[in-house]
Amino acid sequence: MTAVQLIADIRDYPWRNLFAGILPARLQPKAAAQIVPSASIAGNALTVVIAIMSFLACLTAGAVYMVNQSAEAWVKDISSEITVELDPVNTADIEKKMTLVSLFLAKQAGVTRVKPLTAEDSAKLLEPWLGHSEALSALPIPRLIAVEIDRSNPPDIKAITEALWQNFEGVTLDDHRRWRAEIRTLTRSAAAGGFAVLALVAAATVAVIVSATRSAMASNREIIEVLHFVGANERFISREFERHFVGLGVRAGLVGAISAALVFLLLPVAMHLLGGEPATATEMSRLVGSGELDLKGYLLCMLVVFVIACLCMITSRLGVIRVLKSYA
Amino acid sequence: MIRFENVGLRYGNGPEILRDVTFHVVPGSFHFLTGPSGAGKTTLLRLLFMSLRPTRGLIFVFGENVSDLSAAGRAELRRRIGIVFQDFRLLDHLSTWENVALPLRVMGKKESDYREDVTDLLRWVGLGDRIDAYPEVLSGGEKQRAAIARAVIGRPELLLADEPTGNVDPMIADRLLRLFVELNRLGTSVIIATHDYGLMDQLDAPRLVLYEGHLEIR
Repeated sequence: MTAVQLIADIRDYPWRNLFAGILPARLQPKAAAQIVPSASIAGNALTVVIAIMSFLACLTAGAVYMVNQSAEAWVKDISSEITVELDPVNTADIEKKMTLVSLFLAKQAGVTRVKPLTAEDSAKLLEPWLGHSEALSALPIPRLIAVEIDRSNPPDIKAITEALWQNFEGVTLDDHRRWRAEIRTLTRSAAAGGFAVLALVAAATVAVIVSATRSAMASNREIIEVLHFVGANERFISREFERHFVGLGVRAGLVGAISAALVFLLLPVAMHLLGGEPATATEMSRLVGSGELDLKGYLLCMLVVFVIACLCMITSRLGVIRVLKSYA
Repeated sequence: MIRFENVGLRYGNGPEILRDVTFHVVPGSFHFLTGPSGAGKTTLLRLLFMSLRPTRGLIFVFGENVSDLSAAGRAELRRRIGIVFQDFRLLDHLSTWENVALPLRVMGKKESDYREDVTDLLRWVGLGDRIDAYPEVLSGGEKQRAAIARAVIGRPELLLADEPTGNVDPMIADRLLRLFVELNRLGTSVIIATHDYGLMDQLDAPRLVLYEGHLEIR
């Protein structure tokens, strides 16, 4: 299809009739009578199926988006900080060493804040695994220094690591690279899973539209013949069918998207009503952030509706043209 | 305008319905196509309208060899031809006015440009009070007139009509024939398939007579 043809297609498209297919009767602009009647295209069952597809697609897209947002926030947090670990074994005065290392780190360019953690702070970090016990104080728990870095002007991590290695024995630096890599892997896995689900939803949508198009063509064969006799070409006939499917796709897509948006809005409330403990909400928020979609997330749902409408349009157009060619 | 050269047609492995049909229709001519029932009049009209392909021979419509035409090319040529079917082929969910306006809508014309033309034509064929009626409540004669109006609304260069006066009373038949003659005077070539000798006797027009698959011009 050339650009000129595409522009002509857009210009000649029966937009008024398309709105007539989407809007309720009282809001419809005055349009010419439908050559292919809506009732002969598809029943409520197809609308329900497409709405369910849209619902699943929006849920998937929204969930992947939230996980991605949450992971980005994690990565951003841990990218702003590095951790220096001091091995207490074979160190006579660990507190002095903490002070010296902290002073050294504070002098480095790109370091905005140095926070040495006390022995109690380090022990608290182990409590989730070892529990609260006095025995912890007897263990040689590594001491930690949290270092905040300027992300716009980051320090030379490699140089600092080497300097620490040369000047202080038993001191290591962790720039959380491994964690970032794991979070990114998790995000990519979630995105890949999401895309797989979306691809399945798209394939199912295409399959039901293909089937519905064939059925609509069969039940409107007489109308197609008359259109041929009065000189209608394939483009005209396919447009008469596709506008019904686009209207159906937009209507059903919106129902699915709004339902999915309601799920995202009501999920925290539902979890509370079903007896979810505060811990459940905490775990949930670790996984998906606040658990609510932001504006971009809702726009993503609208994008899903747009894609479903496009799938309906393209599939029905190709389906009609294919069947018309078989008539010839 | 139309040229048939040794055209033959058979359905499947059956006998030839048309054999070595050769004729020529010039622009602005008027022909009757006649012959006994089952002689192949409707089949010949379908070949003229490109809804059938010949088994052999060549058909040229408006100078184009129909065997070489794409679907889009055939659709383009059909817009220059008006056809009236024996069984009317009106769309039941469209009003009489909408049925008649269909060819203009397919041509992409604006409704405001043809609204009056369609109404005037419907009045002319005696359907002025049936404009908003749907085909299911029209009588056979009314359907026939609506079908004729649909065929002529686009001012076709060629009009094909299959028994156009078969379901109407003599007065309306006479009126319809005058419509065909008027269209012919305006430059439209007309081919009317009929076995109504009374109708044919009203005009001094050549007759294409089909008999046992062969065509003879009288």
